[in-house]
Amino acid sequence: MDFLVRLAEGFIGLFQQGGEVFVSLVTGIVPLLIILLTFVNALIALIGTERIDRVGEWAARPGLVYYPVRYILLPFLSVFFLTNPMAYTMGRFLPERYKPAFYDAAVSYVHPPTGIFPHINPGELFVWLGISAGITALGLSVVPLAVRYLLIGLVVIFIRGIVTEILTSRMWSSVHTDAEGA
Amino acid sequence: MKALNSFLTKLGRGVGNVVGTLYQSGREAIDQVIVNILPFMAFIALVIGIILKTGVGDWIANALAPLAGNIWGLIIISIICAIPVLSPLLGPGAVIAQVVGTLIGSTLIASGSMSAHLALPALFAINPQVGCDFIPVGLALGEAEPETVEVGVPAILFSRLITGPVAVILAWLASFGLYPGY
Repeated sequence: MDFLVRLAEGFIGLFQQGGEVFVSLVTGIVPLLIILLTFVNALIALIGTERIDRVGEWAARPGLVYYPVRYILLPFLSVFFLTNPMAYTMGRFLPERYKPAFYDAAVSYVHPPTGIFPHINPGELFVWLGISAGITALGLSVVPLAVRYLLIGLVVIFIRGIVTEILTSRMWSSVHTDAEGA
Repeated sequence: MKALNSFLTKLGRGVGNVVGTLYQSGREAIDQVIVNILPFMAFIALVIGIILKTGVGDWIANALAPLAGNIWGLIIISIICAIPVLSPLLGPGAVIAQVVGTLIGSTLIASGSMSAHLALPALFAINPQVGCDFIPVGLALGEAEPETVEVGVPAILFSRLITGPVAVILAWLASFGLYPGY
């Protein structure tokens, strides 16, 4: 009988612990999140998402100068204003050969800014929150980590865009010669 | 009098517009929290609760420490997650990245067995597969032709094999001076 009681206590204990974690997440993170989401939603509604269409047209131009526009500025503005997954619709302004690279850059930027701008991807916050919880547990501020995550993310998507663009053009030509040979 | 009236009407409309936008933004924020954020918090709280209570956490920390506790291990994790056959399987909903992130954050980093500055490369190491499950849909959102999708999928998947580890190394270089002493 004692054994059964202890077993039941252990069983319930698992969920009591989970409940405490849940309460600390809800009281620690959710209030800030709601206010921040409200602010950013209002900001986006007041600015209007149609304004970044012009950046899309601008990014479509060829030439080295436009690489940072295409793989840093456009992905950043797209995920900030349109969020995941509507950000990828901005690819429609680009020529076909840039579309995979743009998607690669944009989709790679739906997590790095979430430490500061959680509205970008509210359903997948724990990529950031999971790791940053460890920093919080040490009693340190997560903001320095969030800022570096956001900035390095920009460098990473830039590299990703360029590498994917090169691979796309290589595969493109091989697929097309195959098609002509057949 | 007429001028005053039209001014007041304009003012009223403007204020009404802003207040309406703010209220709508609040409504969206609450929706996002209820639909996207709270369910995942419940799931993560259950996982953390079980980990903490059963002592599985120590076991996981010991198993992960040689892999995730240093930069070489993080690079290896990023290469594994970026393998073109695995990456589309690991992608959906970023669930794998979020669970692994939580494990690393709440066991290794929180316990101090992984230095705090490695949180930055870890954020990239757990996530080179981001969006790999979504490439055809993401490209379709950008109105890409079927031929572009055919080339784009392998181009992005192979690009990740290069840019995944590169991102970890960059983040590692950028993590120096973050949280000195931890």
